Amino acid sequence: MSRVIAIHSFRGGTGKSNAAANVATLLAAEGQRIGVVDTDLQSPGIHTLFGLDQEAVRYSLNEYLWGRCHIKQAAHDLTTSLDAGLRGRLYLVPSSIKVNDIARVIRDGYDVGLLNEGLRQLVKQLSLDVLLLDTHPGLNEETLLSIAMSNTVAIVMRPDQQDYEGTRVTLSVARKLKVPDLVLVVNKTPSVFDPEEVRERVAKTYDCEVTAVLPHSDELMTLSSEGVFALHYPDHPVTDLYRQIAARLTA
Amino acid sequence: MTESPGFVLVVDDDAVNRLLLSRALEREGHQVRAVTNGLEAVRALHDDPFDCVLLDVLMPEMDGYQVLEHIRSDPKLRRTPVIMISALDDLESIVRCIELGADDYLPKPFDPVLLRARINAGLARKRLDDLEQEYLEQVGHVVAAAAAVETGTFRTEQLDGAARRDDALGQLARVFQRMATEVRAREQRLKQEVRKLRIEIDEASAARQVAEITETAYFKDLERKVSKIRLDPSS
Repeated sequence: MSRVIAIHSFRGGTGKSNAAANVATLLAAEGQRIGVVDTDLQSPGIHTLFGLDQEAVRYSLNEYLWGRCHIKQAAHDLTTSLDAGLRGRLYLVPSSIKVNDIARVIRDGYDVGLLNEGLRQLVKQLSLDVLLLDTHPGLNEETLLSIAMSNTVAIVMRPDQQDYEGTRVTLSVARKLKVPDLVLVVNKTPSVFDPEEVRERVAKTYDCEVTAVLPHSDELMTLSSEGVFALHYPDHPVTDLYRQIAARLTA
Repeated sequence: MTESPGFVLVVDDDAVNRLLLSRALEREGHQVRAVTNGLEAVRALHDDPFDCVLLDVLMPEMDGYQVLEHIRSDPKLRRTPVIMISALDDLESIVRCIELGADDYLPKPFDPVLLRARINAGLARKRLDDLEQEYLEQVGHVVAAAAAVETGTFRTEQLDGAARRDDALGQLARVFQRMATEVRAREQRLKQEVRKLRIEIDEASAARQVAEITETAYFKDLERKVSKIRLDPSS
């Protein structure tokens, strides 16, 4: 039994990629076979958190979409390089960080249908338990496809006026696409807020389950940039919150 | 009678001198304690807060020089005015006393008029010094209050003492207290407002954006195909 989970946000800078990387790693640590696809072709970044050297990458999602390789060839097994203790497997399909490749994606676009086909093949060929999509912020065609093909969509938002309306729009669109399981993750919550109160108010406003309320702190920002936070700080309270999200998304 | 009496310590090993000095000082309205040697003087200085010391130079066991050195080396006593009094009127002794920090010198047999003048001058110095010390202490409180505001630990009562002064420092302390209180109240009001998470959404704008997306041909096509596109977890 496989499932597709999209980690999405309407705006950039919500901590979406961090959440995706941590959830993926924690699930792999539990013994699951996880595939992570960086569908943010216009501004890729999750490879950095996983420590993948793009110089050594021959095939990325871009090569697959332009017909230069099979999707499986673009999947990089990071299980050993991340942590020998991971009981499952963790594959990453990165997007190219080459300026020309990004410019071509923006200029010419790509066959969105091929992306859908490739992701389905990936689940099958790698026998994935979970395919996790780190999406491009906003609601463009590939994002809509990611939402459409997901069994679960987690929308990451900040308790910030800038995010409220976009999150409403994203939820409405996802509901129209009949996503079976929709949850919210509130990230970068200032310490002046009571997390429980935030959870209740956000859940009530959007009529949607809030899986976790993660705090904002400079310390966390610094530590997060070092890589997958949960691997470096397994006993940190924030890692527990990521575990909570991982458990809920695969429940 | 003097207008500003003080508490004077008389130190002399000669009983007649002690009596004469004590009487002369008491006649002026001062409170007097008389002791017979240097050791007793040191003990007395630690027992009571004297405003001035009349100190004999030549005494058995611990002489006036040693007592003077002790006074000047003790942070709590060093600001007490000391008038050396002795039968010795030689220049060498006077110079040594001044070098050791004596404020004045009175030769024996003492002249009551000279004694009065020197005691009053010593007490005036002490009062001025006390005022200066208190002023500096209050300035220290204002400086500490500024640091406390920076670290968020300021308490209004820290400046109560300085604020009671009727000079410019008192005015500064009162203004500082009022401003710090107002700023803190404003900060707390702001925090209270921030703590209340307000989620305001322009529902009409959100609905317009949703319509712009869902009315596109791409979305409608996606909506039709969604059951085929979505992975069936049970398969």
